[in-house]
Amino acid sequence: MKTAIEITIKNRIPEIEHVCDAVAEFSRKHNVADKIIFTLHLAIDEILTNIISYGYSDPNEHIINICYSLQKDYLQLKIIDDSNPYDPAAAPEPDVEASLEDRKIGGLGIYLIKNMMDDIKYSSESGKNTLVLTKKCDYT
Amino acid sequence: MQVNIEKIENIYIFSLEGNLDSNTSGDLEKKLIPAIDPNNTKFILDFSALHYISSAGLRVLLGAAKKLNQFGGKLILCSVKPDIKEVFEIAGLLPIFPIVDDPEAAAQKILQ
Repeated sequence: MKTAIEITIKNRIPEIEHVCDAVAEFSRKHNVADKIIFTLHLAIDEILTNIISYGYSDPNEHIINICYSLQKDYLQLKIIDDSNPYDPAAAPEPDVEASLEDRKIGGLGIYLIKNMMDDIKYSSESGKNTLVLTKKCDYT
Repeated sequence: MQVNIEKIENIYIFSLEGNLDSNTSGDLEKKLIPAIDPNNTKFILDFSALHYISSAGLRVLLGAAKKLNQFGGKLILCSVKPDIKEVFEIAGLLPIFPIVDDPEAAAQKILQ
């Protein structure tokens, strides 16, 4: 059975759902637990929303490539895009203990992923960003 | 995502169905934020049919909580699935959003 899928989308918010659906369907076929599928959904949604909403200096169409693979004891999401270089793993952490009035939402999405995934690695080369997210997982 | 809105006496109940994310949070924002005013300050959000929430959804809820705070209002969440509750927990939002088991418990709490 195939152990990886590749999905290519344009930089448009409504396209994110297609990626989440494809990853969820593929995960279910491979008996990945629903809890992990939820975490993958969140990771894909937050990262792609950031790239599409804030990553480009022009209004043009860009391509984002997502590769999802099942390794022996972990799952890996690799996202490759040509937006402005940005390392989400190095983003400042929000104050999650602030009172309601002082609470800011910026950076919360990345903070959630950092806490729910096991590893996030960013690299930038020749105008391309590569973000690799991994989640430990036992599946059969 | 579907948003069903009911008003029973002076309590608004918003029932959310589907995914609350960057694609759908604008729709909730347009319905929820304008509904809050000095005469409408009690809100229950029923999450029993909500399957997913992202930071875009949290942003709208925080906006609602801040506006309600100005009027001394209350926002209670009910029937929240464990995966979604974990998102609130990690984001440190449990002290800001009271979560109860079901709509009846939410109605009781909001009238306290």
